[in-house]
Amino acid sequence: MEKLKYERPLIKKMNTGIPNKFGQKAAFEPVKYIDEVPVKQLIEKFGSPLFVLSEQRIRRNYRAAVRAFSTRYPKVQFAWSYKTNYLNAVCNIFHQEGSWAEVVSGFEYHKAINNGIPGEQIIFNGPYKDAEALNLAIENGSLIHIDHFDELYNLITLCKSHHKKPKVAVRVNMDTGVYPVWDRFGFNYENGQAWSTITKVLESGVLQLAGLHCHIGTFVLSVNAYKAAASKLCDLAMKCKSQHNHIIQYLDMGGGFPSVNTLKGYHPSGADAIPSIDEYAEVITETILNAGFEKDDLPLLILETGRALIDDAGYLLGTVVANKRLSDGRKATIVDFGVNVLFTSFWYEHKISPAQDATQHTEETVLYGPLCMNIDVLRESVNLPLLNAGDHLVVHKVGAYNMTQWMQFINLRPAVVLIDKSSNVHLIRQPETLEYLQTPELLPDYLKIVHG
Amino acid sequence: MKSAIEYHTKSLLNSYAILFFSQNKVLGTLLLLVSFFNIPAGLTGLVCVIFALTTVNQLGFHRDFTHKGLYSFNALLFGLAFGMFYQTNLAFLLWLMVGCIITIVLSIILSAWLSKYNLPVLSIPFIITYWLVILATGTDNTTGLLPKDGLLPNQFSSLGSQHLFSTSAQGNSIFYFADLFFRALSAIIFQNNVIVGLIIAIGIFIHSRISFSLLLIGFFTACCFHKITGMYPDDVSYYHLGANFMMVSAAIGGFFLIPSLRSYLWAIISIPASFLLVNALTKLLGIYNLPVFSLPFCLITISLLYFFTLRITANKLQLTPIQHYSPEKNLYQYTNNVKRLDNLKYLPLNLPFMGEWTVSQGYNGDITHKDDWANALDFVITDEEQKTFEYPGTRPEHFYCFNKPVLACADGVVETVADNIEDNTIGQINTLQNWGNTVVIKHADDLYSKVSHLKKNSIKVKPGDVVKQGDQLALCGNSGRSPEPHLHFQLQLTPYIGSKTLKYPFADYTGHNLGAPDKYFAYSIPEEGMVISPVEINILLKQAFAFEPGYYGVIETPDGRKETWEVYKDAYNGRYLYSKQTGAVAYFVNNGYEFYFTAFYGDEKSLLYLFYLAAYRINFSSTYPGVSDNYPLPANKFGLWLHDIVAPFCQFVKHTYLNQYQINRDEISIAANAQYCFLNKCNSIMEAEIRIANNKLKTFSVKMNNQITEATWDSANN
Repeated sequence: MEKLKYERPLIKKMNTGIPNKFGQKAAFEPVKYIDEVPVKQLIEKFGSPLFVLSEQRIRRNYRAAVRAFSTRYPKVQFAWSYKTNYLNAVCNIFHQEGSWAEVVSGFEYHKAINNGIPGEQIIFNGPYKDAEALNLAIENGSLIHIDHFDELYNLITLCKSHHKKPKVAVRVNMDTGVYPVWDRFGFNYENGQAWSTITKVLESGVLQLAGLHCHIGTFVLSVNAYKAAASKLCDLAMKCKSQHNHIIQYLDMGGGFPSVNTLKGYHPSGADAIPSIDEYAEVITETILNAGFEKDDLPLLILETGRALIDDAGYLLGTVVANKRLSDGRKATIVDFGVNVLFTSFWYEHKISPAQDATQHTEETVLYGPLCMNIDVLRESVNLPLLNAGDHLVVHKVGAYNMTQWMQFINLRPAVVLIDKSSNVHLIRQPETLEYLQTPELLPDYLKIVHG
Repeated sequence: MKSAIEYHTKSLLNSYAILFFSQNKVLGTLLLLVSFFNIPAGLTGLVCVIFALTTVNQLGFHRDFTHKGLYSFNALLFGLAFGMFYQTNLAFLLWLMVGCIITIVLSIILSAWLSKYNLPVLSIPFIITYWLVILATGTDNTTGLLPKDGLLPNQFSSLGSQHLFSTSAQGNSIFYFADLFFRALSAIIFQNNVIVGLIIAIGIFIHSRISFSLLLIGFFTACCFHKITGMYPDDVSYYHLGANFMMVSAAIGGFFLIPSLRSYLWAIISIPASFLLVNALTKLLGIYNLPVFSLPFCLITISLLYFFTLRITANKLQLTPIQHYSPEKNLYQYTNNVKRLDNLKYLPLNLPFMGEWTVSQGYNGDITHKDDWANALDFVITDEEQKTFEYPGTRPEHFYCFNKPVLACADGVVETVADNIEDNTIGQINTLQNWGNTVVIKHADDLYSKVSHLKKNSIKVKPGDVVKQGDQLALCGNSGRSPEPHLHFQLQLTPYIGSKTLKYPFADYTGHNLGAPDKYFAYSIPEEGMVISPVEINILLKQAFAFEPGYYGVIETPDGRKETWEVYKDAYNGRYLYSKQTGAVAYFVNNGYEFYFTAFYGDEKSLLYLFYLAAYRINFSSTYPGVSDNYPLPANKFGLWLHDIVAPFCQFVKHTYLNQYQINRDEISIAANAQYCFLNKCNSIMEAEIRIANNKLKTFSVKMNNQITEATWDSANN
């Protein structure tokens, strides 16, 4: 018989009353496997902490999203939002599934090109596009989404030297009933700026107005906001047809669909509060189909969904470093991953599971990262079983933004592995090393000797 | 002016060539030449043809029929016969004109009357007119016409007239048969001359190998039959051989019927019948001293054709649907069309939904698609694990297809709607209102489509509404006999909910069986288990080929050739491009999914012909950029002459077309390639490229016979 695991003694106040007739479920389901691969084995092989991505989950999410839209609208195209997760392995899973690339900087643009994406399937968004990347985008025939007038004028000047007519879209911001209004991307609809930009683009003679774009927010929980946005874009597109006899080839609804994470201070939990992607698809497609486009003029619907497609495919595995008692008596647990790698812990109440069996007893704990910084708090209060140093934890739904916004700070960034559909584990990013970190550093000669 | 001369010359030559069911210039010219082997006859023949052509042109008869020589060849026969048998005097000239006019009038009246039954007039007008002349002249010579050298036309074909067939080479030697064969051919223009026959034979061989072989078959069958029966005491007359037996064989075996083994058999069968008729008619008409001429041929051919037209199905013995005046062309066009254009009989149907759906129950399905309701399809949406629902699948909303738009499969008028039946809970079925909420659309007389098990209160149309293909009708639901949400689709002949089903294909879709790659399907019925989706149309490509009547394009080449193309539609609503400068015509079909040419007539040196070759079939699908097809084999290509002879029985040469297009933003380039394939050995004979920019055709270039032709659309008119 296996030796029972030691758990520290715990004194817990009895609460009267039970939340529901089945009683409160105190015990945590341990997560010992990710896609049939033992967590313990992953940590043994690749170290702790470790990001794990499930390819099967990514593909499933993508196909579900495509299914939701393409069974409601005849022409749908997804474009993978690079900033959400631009590990090449991840990008190429999306590209294999048929996704275009949506990039917001010169560096991302090059990344997409290096991944083998044809120029005309790259959407170039963002408030700042450097001249070199912009030139390349014109040359490659990429879709350039204009964010502000200075960019428009700049583009017109560049085009004159190129003798090419790039395909552009006007980025439109608008009141969608969600506050605060995201009015920083593109031109405003309500005050007429968007329409005046459209006119300027059409009259420039050197640009082809191919589409209209909006990006109404992130983690938008209101389906109706998309209805408002789609109807305003359709309105502009119809006006282009009626006033300029110009057909808008595509409407890009941007990103912003939420994942099933729980936002901080938000009740109930994510899975219950968040509309499904089908609900978004229904309002968007219905709005466009009923806008009055002629059948042949029906615009291509582009979606730059990022977070909703990958968040729940990412896991962060870590290890308990120590338990301690705070001055006010609360329990605290220190783990080996901090906010520098789990950036989203600033926004989400991440679900955290133990990776090994435990008794039903739990204790409220503050979960700290390993950084020597006061802000390194992963969960201010989380109920966890009684963990010992060396026990493993699994953080759920960390696929979006963490592997792009993470940073090397105090600790180096960990490895990332991908589990394919046959449960083979592929290392897709090595853990950082000191040597890697120092490669770009230069040391002036007189500083090379410390003890002179 | 130039075109007028061309028109009249062609009409003249056609009037000669049509004697052998041809429009071949070479054959026409040769016949014109050999008719002058007897100068008076040649002259009167020519005069009568010119007179007939001028008359019908002046009187304003159908130019097309005139052009083909259909109104003038009887006058030609009359002129030839008249000049052959009567001496030239004043009465001769008078009665020649009168006879000619009567022939013309009879030609037009009889051909109009017979064409109602789709029957040809053949040489009946000539026979009647000539009989009139003979009867009127009689033995007392009241008309003042003098028979030549005591040769009376009624002796011409009577039995046993010794001087009319060769007695010098009696026997079975090859020379005897060759001599007889050529004389028989020359007899069709009332001559008895081996050289004339030889020249005509060469002309016919150049015109058509099939015709030539049928003439031979007719000849030998007649000889054999005669040998066996010994019907004629001396020998079979060369006139009867030529004008009756051989012509029956050519007409039935390869002209009015699509040449095939069966048509050849009928040709052989018709020869003994002709024997009987020749004998009987000769005896009957002998009472009045009238020659039978080609009357047996006319009667046999017309009777057999009428007999065939009365059939309900043609099966493998097919009457020539469109007469191209060449057995080879008839055959090659027909075999090609049967393969390519069979689907024109269907109304193009699109799938009644968007995106990828799975056929959960196909035709003759095990669950409910049985008996009279066997030809129906059930659709659901599945995920990568072939599940139709998301966990836990206890409510209709958990099913992927529930709430998804259901579309009209084609244009039509809404006939019946049922919209207030509750959606079932999962696992329950409503057998009382088993079809559930349903929309029936009338697409054409006796053609209705029906979608069933729709969501309650989701139907957006009402009876009488006009719907276009792709319009949303309702949402997929779970009403009626539906234990879980699915869409039922069927075609039917009658308007009721609950009507029997009709087998009917979808015009195009893409699909795959589990694990197999996606394929393009045209006019096909998806099988159970297939995952299918509608084809995404490349709008630019579709718009570039949207030739509607009134379309007008000017096409130029760098070396100064210029053609103006305009789109017209004919009496049968067929669309065609007409090249004004060359008169060339190219028929096409555009069903919204594909553009394809169906036939080309006219000048093969025209730019339109090159475009016909290059853009033979263009598929608008944006997922499957490329398509292959077969051209009809050319009717008169020297290299295929041997193939022509066996073609009615088996064909082993193919003329293939293959294209592939590349899209670079708004520019589309279509690269096409044509090959001749002999069994599996292929030889490229044409390479072409069509370029499209911003939904307009810009240029096309064709490389053929080491010659490159580049043509550009004049942008001002495009």
